[in-house]
Amino acid sequence: MENLTNNKQKIKSYIIKNTFKNSNNILDSTLLFQEGYFDSMGFALLLEFIEEEFKVSPSDDELIEENFESIDAIAGFVSRKKTAE
Amino acid sequence: MSIQKKEKFSTEILNIKDIGQLIDKITEKLQNDVQKVLHRFGGVIGISGGVDSSVTLALSALALGSDNVLGIMLPEHDSNPESETLARKLADKFKVKSIKEEVTGALEGFKCYERRDKAVKQIFPEYDPTTYKMKIGVKESGLYSLLPPVFSLTIITPSGEEKSKRLPVNEYRQIVAASNFKQRSRMSMLYYHAERLHFAVIGTPNKHEVDQGFFVKYGDGGADVMPIGMLYKTQVYQIAKHLGIPQEIIDRTPTTDTYTAEQTQEEFFYQLPFDKMDLLWYAFENNYSPGEVSPVMNLSEKDIRAIFSNFQRKIKSTEYLRMSPVRDY
Repeated sequence: MENLTNNKQKIKSYIIKNTFKNSNNILDSTLLFQEGYFDSMGFALLLEFIEEEFKVSPSDDELIEENFESIDAIAGFVSRKKTAE
Repeated sequence: MSIQKKEKFSTEILNIKDIGQLIDKITEKLQNDVQKVLHRFGGVIGISGGVDSSVTLALSALALGSDNVLGIMLPEHDSNPESETLARKLADKFKVKSIKEEVTGALEGFKCYERRDKAVKQIFPEYDPTTYKMKIGVKESGLYSLLPPVFSLTIITPSGEEKSKRLPVNEYRQIVAASNFKQRSRMSMLYYHAERLHFAVIGTPNKHEVDQGFFVKYGDGGADVMPIGMLYKTQVYQIAKHLGIPQEIIDRTPTTDTYTAEQTQEEFFYQLPFDKMDLLWYAFENNYSPGEVSPVMNLSEKDIRAIFSNFQRKIKSTEYLRMSPVRDY
């Protein structure tokens, strides 16, 4: 549980730093792609961040909204991948 | 004030009702823009043997007179030789003078190929540019998802085997930045001839290329006037047929002609065939609801909502390409 909260914080910090958005506007449930936080390049950078920070490599089949649409979704995806290892 | 009733959405909505009248409107404006706004004697056009540059050349010849138009073929090492043959045929048909300016030497000077190939080798160490081919692209299915597409790199071995990998950001950016030397070198050459002749550079991007950002800033996006910049691709084809553009050009699949491996524009960027893309973009731009569009396009409302979101994202993320230098300080 502590890990999940910690991971969410890391993802949120990454997003704030790299999208120049106001930190007050982003919640764990904010729909990042619907709200225009990331374009193609931003998404590719986010994937690289996830790989480096959490040592998790998403496969092409895993690049779906359910896994990346929000901080909640990303943290959940990372946690599931870690458990599966 | 009269309120115009919105036309019911249908697959015929983009059919040009009076092509002759539209051509007159474009050519009158083009003549006015070149002569009275830009104060130039004529126009130079980069011709690739594709339908967009062909229609642009034909419209320019009508607007400015064949003698006041120069078509320039700008091949480089990776260009398909068919492009030059078709471009020459087009210029002959419209009695426009054409010249060829090979830009390979300039690109070697910029180390365009070397910089690109270095990035490709980071991903596929076995890649040998003298025997392998390469391209980058996105998956079609991506358009139905709210997630932006992720680019992959494909190499084709001498025996024809294809290998693909997701492109890391640094290598992606280096391949694109190096390849963009091609469009920017062409733009420099077009302006050389334009200035030499006191002509304008007539740009060839169509509506999708401009709106969705499928052009290189200060490359093929570098021009003085873009006479087909408001036309959907299927409308460009309608005009091409009306103007008598050679059938081989009309039948040719639009390619990027940028990478060594054959690659369609659909595969590289649009993710949809042009007939569908045009209708969906029109619907999006004119605020048709997913409910109105769904039965016509035979797509679910959910898919249409996702496609519209993708369009919105493309406009937003490519805004930078359409911006002039910011100077309101």
